[in-house]
Amino acid sequence: MSQQNDARPGLAPLKTLGQPTPRIDAVERVTGTGRYTRDVVLPGMLFARVLRSPHPHARIRSIDTSKAQALPGVKAILTHENCRVVWGAGSIAGGQQYNDEVKKITTQRRYAFNNPVRFVGEPVAAVAAVDRHVAEEALSLVAVDYERLPFVLDMNEALTPEAPKIWPEGNLSPNNRNEVQPIGARRGDVAAALSTAARVFEDRYTTAFVHNAQMEPRACLAHWDGDKLTVYTPTGGIANCRHDMARDLGIPEDRVRVVVEYMGGNFGNKNQNQDADLITAMLAKAAGAPVRLEYSRKEDFIGVHGRWPTTQHYTVATAADGTLTAIRLRGVSGMGPYRKNSGTMAGIELYTCPNTDLSVSPAYTNRTVSANFRGPEYPQGFFGIQSMMDDVAHQLRIDPVEFALKNMSRMARDETPYTNYTLEECVRKGADLFNWAARRQTTPGSDPGPIKRGAGMTYMLFRSGLGMSSAVLRLDAKGEYTLFVGVTDVGAGAKTTLGLIAAEALDVPLAKVHVVWGDTDRCPYSVGESGSRTTIMTGTAVVEAARDIKKQVADRGLPAGDQVYLASASPSPRLEGQVRASFGAHFCEVEVDTELGDVRVTKYTTVHDSGRLMNPLSAKGQIAGAVIQGIGMALHEDMVYDRRSGQPLTGGYYSARVATHLDAPDIEVTFLENDDGYGPFGAKSIGESGIILAPACVANAIFNAIGKRMKDTPITRARIIDALGAPA
Amino acid sequence: MKAFTNANARDARHAATLAREARTAGRRAAFAGGGSDLLALVKDRIVSPDVIVRLTSITGADRVEPSPSGLSIGGLITLDTLSRDQVVRGQYTVLAEAAAAVATPQIRNVGTLAGNVCQRPWCWYYRNGFPCYKAGGTQCFSVAGENEFHAIFGGGPSYIVHPSDTAPALMALGATFRITGPDGDRTRAAAEFFTLPRQNAATENVLAADEVLTAVQIPAARPGTRSTYRKLMDREAWTHAVVSAAVVLEMDQDVVRSARVVLGGVAPIPWRLPAVEQVLAGQQVTDAVLQKAGEVAVAGARPLSQNAYKVPLTRNLVRRTIRELAGRG
Repeated sequence: MSQQNDARPGLAPLKTLGQPTPRIDAVERVTGTGRYTRDVVLPGMLFARVLRSPHPHARIRSIDTSKAQALPGVKAILTHENCRVVWGAGSIAGGQQYNDEVKKITTQRRYAFNNPVRFVGEPVAAVAAVDRHVAEEALSLVAVDYERLPFVLDMNEALTPEAPKIWPEGNLSPNNRNEVQPIGARRGDVAAALSTAARVFEDRYTTAFVHNAQMEPRACLAHWDGDKLTVYTPTGGIANCRHDMARDLGIPEDRVRVVVEYMGGNFGNKNQNQDADLITAMLAKAAGAPVRLEYSRKEDFIGVHGRWPTTQHYTVATAADGTLTAIRLRGVSGMGPYRKNSGTMAGIELYTCPNTDLSVSPAYTNRTVSANFRGPEYPQGFFGIQSMMDDVAHQLRIDPVEFALKNMSRMARDETPYTNYTLEECVRKGADLFNWAARRQTTPGSDPGPIKRGAGMTYMLFRSGLGMSSAVLRLDAKGEYTLFVGVTDVGAGAKTTLGLIAAEALDVPLAKVHVVWGDTDRCPYSVGESGSRTTIMTGTAVVEAARDIKKQVADRGLPAGDQVYLASASPSPRLEGQVRASFGAHFCEVEVDTELGDVRVTKYTTVHDSGRLMNPLSAKGQIAGAVIQGIGMALHEDMVYDRRSGQPLTGGYYSARVATHLDAPDIEVTFLENDDGYGPFGAKSIGESGIILAPACVANAIFNAIGKRMKDTPITRARIIDALGAPA
Repeated sequence: MKAFTNANARDARHAATLAREARTAGRRAAFAGGGSDLLALVKDRIVSPDVIVRLTSITGADRVEPSPSGLSIGGLITLDTLSRDQVVRGQYTVLAEAAAAVATPQIRNVGTLAGNVCQRPWCWYYRNGFPCYKAGGTQCFSVAGENEFHAIFGGGPSYIVHPSDTAPALMALGATFRITGPDGDRTRAAAEFFTLPRQNAATENVLAADEVLTAVQIPAARPGTRSTYRKLMDREAWTHAVVSAAVVLEMDQDVVRSARVVLGGVAPIPWRLPAVEQVLAGQQVTDAVLQKAGEVAVAGARPLSQNAYKVPLTRNLVRRTIRELAGRG
């Protein structure tokens, strides 16, 4: 991988920020001394295992746990009969996360244990025992009498009148007022625009369910000390997790402590609290001992959640010169049987277009739940709309870069200015670095082959909002600073980044700042590692706390003896009349072996404006890693189900065909650095933005190579061979 | 996983005896070389042995030993060592390349040649606990189910594909397998070692429950022989072959004196293509010969509902692999 940074004229270099800096916990991570949840051992700790539904849809007539209970070493067993905890984050009307008011009124509730069970892998019972083997043995002794119910796996079929109903209200998931309606957003008059348009295009695209596949499967260790619950769990957001646990268990927030020292990845799989946390806490309570629950890789794939699959039907209208006049999307998202996130699709906002109409129906299915995964509604929506627009450009005989420059968003929703705007520059710079004009086949499929080359491009803008978060800073007489931030390092490097921000703001070396993280009893509120926002929001709090403590030093001099100075900040900055966004453009080249169906990404060029870079080393890793994830989604990954039994067949790293190091192409990462005056020193979002573009970028390159539009992910070897037809 | 006891074998005969003793006592036994396949099956409760007979306690059964009649390779050699062996790489290239194509470095470091040849199918029904033929049941769920990766040759009643990379290579090299049981050794030509489901749907080869594959004998390479293994995967590592081809050509200048072509990933056993071999024998590898070779390669293919793509893929892979190997000169 290579990297360049374009230092902006006027963007003055800083001392600490902007220098490639290794993680402050890198040595601990690579030498195996970092303490992950599964490494935490408490005296008298029990081990838990979960019994999961073997059926996609079934009513539990009865559960007999007596034999399991009688097994020596079994200390507690939970089922829906003795554990009625509502998992608030597991099903929210409209998929409106982080919203307690909506959770309160949500009628389609999800419990830690549900009856009926609605997907293969849904928890039916949990056992805590003296060791893992006894716990597993006990599961096999739990006798469950199921009444099997009809099930539906396909999201489009689920919305037909004859489909089995997963909820009494039907399979169209209600909105945040419990009204059974699709997600909708309209501007202008699409029907009128279509009737007068010079050209109208229609097509249909689909994307498959893909799992976050983060390295560390879910685990939890829970321990009660009187009425105080301590939960060790890998969560991307300790404050949110604590809040969720307190609400779900009906105890005050100060009676819950959430700890995560190290965790092995998130990618949206570990936000908020999970049923595993509730199950472990309830087992620990029932057993009167600490309990550790560990998921296997397969449980993690089928029992938590992944990205929602979609079907997307677009109607696009243009003027004779290719200027967009209307975009209509009729979409369906497969949510599994519970609404954990919205299920919407992003993409229309990429275009300047006076008439737009989005209608997305989030459909319940008897498959693994769909929810957050790095840019939850983005890669699948962008795959559809940016493939569609690539095809529109092709049919209009316009170069995709030219089409992008003609039609790209210039203001948010064509009305609100961005705090800065570099989208056009990202596209132009990327085309230049990639050598677009030379690499692209002017006529798709014209490379003689049998190995055909082609090039594709995509661009994006991604929310980069401001918001409330907190930080506490302490200075002692030795001149050592301790920074308390309620963050966890999900992989993006938050601990290091916030240490760097503090060092810069305090004008001291990073070594003088000791970062304390990952413990709700020690750290103040932080927003949570989701939405690519920790650096911006908690970083802003760090800058304010640093300013405060510097003022104290200026006023009173350095602390002496046993004195310490403390500063805290909880800023809640807002934007008025502007929208803040990160921008980016991706270009890639593929080689398609038309005889063997191989697709190789041979060159990948990215240009991003993520504001000022706090740590170029992490920034580069975020983009490159996300691109590889996106390529995996484009070419390989899927959750395949057996249609007759409703069983998932590809749960796990091997069978889901998650990309390996050998699948990673050379990725060129370039940043256009800017300071728009917001966020800590001008930092904007990075984490999610890299994955958003890759699926469409690869698909467009494949089209350019072979002249066949691949409309469904994953674009497998079988699909390539089928699309090319059988050569002689 | 279910609890089991471990039994260390002193030699192959002892291993077979330990397995028989367990079986006689009403206990299920399984052999473990590297254990990378077996332990995963045990953890997933696909198999539940009471006794695991550990073969890695045997010394000296992991060597490559040249002999006047060719090469003898101990079944316990790791795939990594095999892939790096200079003699194998030089004269039996197809086997070194096949060993190097297996899974991941971690698995090649512990996985053995015998284990790779004898591993159980990776059909997603079998691996997800469906009661199929391979699990002792009476149906193949792929027939009316998800069969994108299943057999286009030799299927019925089970449609698994043989997952081994080294097995097609060994068959293409004309290897003979040494099998050790509690009562002694026997040998089988590779072609007679693997069995079609119509003979016995529950197993993939002739090994009895208390027999182990202890060594393979490969005949000496004839002058002018060159060979290669080409594997198509759905990512660059850690998948089994969608289709693979092991090709051995004995060349006299630019004329093929004899050929062996064996496919992986398309049939319940390594699938030899005698018709292709006949097309090549005595011929220069011209476009017309390759055209014909591709056609006859798939003449007997019977795809299921979702794997018809394997037919052109097989045809094209056979052509491509032969052409490139013949052109290496």
